[in-house]
Amino acid sequence: MHLFDGGKNLSSRDRIYMQLCAIVGSKYVSYGLKELFIYRWDHLGCSTGMGKCDFVVLPGSTEEVQEMLRLANREKIPVVPMVANSCGGMSTPLQGGIVLDLRRMNKVEEINEDDMYALVQGGITWGDLEGYLQRNYPNLRLAFPYASPAAGVVPCYLEYGFVNLSMIGGCGAEFINGLEVVLPNGEVALTGTAAYAPKNWSGRTVGPDITGLFVGYAGRTGIVTKAAIKLWPKLPRSDWYMSAENYKKGIEIAKRLYKAGGPTLGIVDLGTENYVALMAGAGVSGMDLKKVPYEAEKVGIPDFYGSISMEASTEREMEAKAEVIYSIVEDAGGHITLTEDAFKATPLENRGEGPTYVGTLVQQYYMWYFYFGGIGEYLTALLPINRIAEYYEKTRKVAMEFGKHILFFHRVMFGGHYNGAGILVESNKDDPKDLKQTRKCLMEIDKVRRKLDGVVHKPNYIRARHEVKTGNPTSMKIIQQIKRMLDPNDILNPGQGI
Amino acid sequence: MSKKKKIRYAFKKDYEAPVKEFYPRDIYLPGRGIGKKVTVPDTMGEFERYKPLDYYKDLLRLCVKCGNCRYVFRDWNRACPSGEFGGFESYYLGGKNVLLWGLTREKIKWSKPIVEVLYHCMLCGNCQVQCQIPEIHHYATEWLEAAREKAVELGIGPMPGQLKMGYHIIKEHNPHMELHKKRLDWLPVSRESLPKKAEIAFFVGCTPSHVQTHIATATFEILKKLNVNFTILNDEYCCGSPAQQTGQRKIAIDCARHNAKELEKTGASTVVTSCPGCHKMLNEEYKKRYKLNLEAEIVHSSTFFNNLLKKGVLKFRNNIGKAITYHDPCHLGRYSGIYEDPRDLLQNMPGVKVIEMPRNKQNAWCCGGGGGVRAGFPGLSSFAASERVKEAKETGAEAIVSSCPFCYINLSDAIEQYNEKMEVYDVVDLINMSIK
Repeated sequence: MHLFDGGKNLSSRDRIYMQLCAIVGSKYVSYGLKELFIYRWDHLGCSTGMGKCDFVVLPGSTEEVQEMLRLANREKIPVVPMVANSCGGMSTPLQGGIVLDLRRMNKVEEINEDDMYALVQGGITWGDLEGYLQRNYPNLRLAFPYASPAAGVVPCYLEYGFVNLSMIGGCGAEFINGLEVVLPNGEVALTGTAAYAPKNWSGRTVGPDITGLFVGYAGRTGIVTKAAIKLWPKLPRSDWYMSAENYKKGIEIAKRLYKAGGPTLGIVDLGTENYVALMAGAGVSGMDLKKVPYEAEKVGIPDFYGSISMEASTEREMEAKAEVIYSIVEDAGGHITLTEDAFKATPLENRGEGPTYVGTLVQQYYMWYFYFGGIGEYLTALLPINRIAEYYEKTRKVAMEFGKHILFFHRVMFGGHYNGAGILVESNKDDPKDLKQTRKCLMEIDKVRRKLDGVVHKPNYIRARHEVKTGNPTSMKIIQQIKRMLDPNDILNPGQGI
Repeated sequence: MSKKKKIRYAFKKDYEAPVKEFYPRDIYLPGRGIGKKVTVPDTMGEFERYKPLDYYKDLLRLCVKCGNCRYVFRDWNRACPSGEFGGFESYYLGGKNVLLWGLTREKIKWSKPIVEVLYHCMLCGNCQVQCQIPEIHHYATEWLEAAREKAVELGIGPMPGQLKMGYHIIKEHNPHMELHKKRLDWLPVSRESLPKKAEIAFFVGCTPSHVQTHIATATFEILKKLNVNFTILNDEYCCGSPAQQTGQRKIAIDCARHNAKELEKTGASTVVTSCPGCHKMLNEEYKKRYKLNLEAEIVHSSTFFNNLLKKGVLKFRNNIGKAITYHDPCHLGRYSGIYEDPRDLLQNMPGVKVIEMPRNKQNAWCCGGGGGVRAGFPGLSSFAASERVKEAKETGAEAIVSSCPFCYINLSDAIEQYNEKMEVYDVVDLINMSIK
């Protein structure tokens, strides 16, 4: 070690280490294997495998992020921002350098009850924000994804996460009012209304809106240190589960529901899933994957389940709306059950051993599905509604050929104006053969997505590179030019994103 | 049109209430491991407890590092003192699981920095309770403890302060750097005045014997006042828990063998302990891990006195006149499933108002006293205690009451260190005050 020789003969690593310590304090910088081994890989990046990084740094403020980026830009050191360290392979550090874990920046800076938004720091997690709202603002609610409480709110919104208010608000990016972003040169930009009136975070702007320069870029154009996100009134709610023989039939019911005026009808969330998802979403149900049929409907088990969440201000309103829901679902040949009734019907000792309908009330942690093998990956995409059932059936067939089950889900977005679908495939991280098979399976599934005109969502670098090759050349050129303009040294999350 | 079902709807603002009702969080099946709940069945079959680290290596891969271990399940409160103190991912259970997976699969090598992280943990079990992956939910503390044994085996554990503590347990049979010959200094009567054999044996524990002697004295006085036929051990050693928890298993076994013999000499059918650590050690480790011939029933003093309260033998008289909050010791709560006995006692005391902290029972934030952390990493220990004191103060209570001498020390120290104004009591202190 050459830490105390006046800086003359410092190794490159030690020199950078000392500068990082001077910015954030030595407690928040590490280059030890105890940290690097964990941060080198995205824990849901089955295809991406292990990357590499040299430092893990936990900054505590926008100013510290500015200083760090100035240093990294000067030294041309890659910087990979992350919060949860598990993002479908998007947060694998590919070219070494610094992993910037924003978890210390987890404060709520402002809640505006009247304009209904929260101004939060870039590292806040779902657990922290949801807890804060429940304790301090029980009348406001947050759009929440299928994520664990330790996952980051801002990255999810920046990458178009599907949320439990998607029916009324669309994907996560549509819940962003504005951002505070540190650019690679250390400058700070504000977006949305705040770009023009820095204290006004109430919405996107009527002037040129630069928010989009930082959305969907996988942290490649700037580090988002603050975000203003939309909140919604928390009205009394009712949740139902519906089922249908198969996905094709189920999607027809979903269509009828949103065409009846989904959000106007009070539906805030309309999601669908297959039998595997139902079992896994029930909260690590003790499901033995080997016993789960590949094609549930062939053995008489419905392979389509839908969750309907509805809000109403009065009980009379709820009853009237419930009547409409029952009528639509039953007329279309589906079955509908109040979620609470399904709960009560399951004896305590049997809970967790079968469908328990637990997911719809709060977020289902689909992530638990991965625990069977300890790793996996999700592929999400935007597809036209009439392709969803076909997508499910074709990808299930592909997965069967690889001996894999897929967890399939879909969400109706923005009143039915578009749809998001997701597929989760688990793998055994101790079994190289299984990992190889899973990767092949994921690639084949992705081919199906492309054939059906599905648009890739949250792509890891492997899928992103393919999109760059096959996307509209002019569009891809503009995307690359924006990246180069904002990050000429390519220090931010290099190798990732589109 | 098809025949319509009766229309059913809900009208609830607390979206999570039905889920909480559906997954009751306080179902404990004694003897089946920490937090073993019927709602989370194993999928990989039953595993054994008390096994070496390698035995659990197939379970280590199951962790997807989702981070549920950082939060109280569906209550959105932080759960892990080690993670909150250490900051980096490695300090949470998820990070430790990944490191142990890497170690057992030989992807990384054992080293002192990694071992230091593994010892940065009170083994409080809160993370384990919050994790919903069945095998981790049931066995995580098994492999966290086994990892420490492995570190000791490799000569890179325990931490220096814990090693010193281990030596002192060998030499003077207590972890507090006190002389063994002073162990009975607290005793208000001569040892000889107590019977050699009795139905009840009071296993005092090192902390009440040497440090928080008021806990030993109060327990003794209550037993006397209630005319309980009891004795104490002729030559009590440390129960071995501090050694066991820091991976120094051989020291713990020696303690266990000695105490088991001493307990046998008393002829007691029931052993009462003041310390939840001793309770867990005698009740579980002596009997199940070390398979010692210990037939006596082991009960914690709060259970023992609550039984006497229910039988009408224990009667409270004096008004305590305090608003208090109860802190669940990890070894009594999460490890032994005893949440209600101390609460029953407190709620029945005249003039005691019990106010719960948000994180209570199985979700209780650890005081930072256990797992050898007080000896190994005083900073972490003090951080955990100060967070708990803050939480206690926010309830508006005047006093924080626990039923563990170690919690008592750590919470009192934090109050002193941070100049807080809050009283600290053990449940037996209040019982004694109320029956005087």
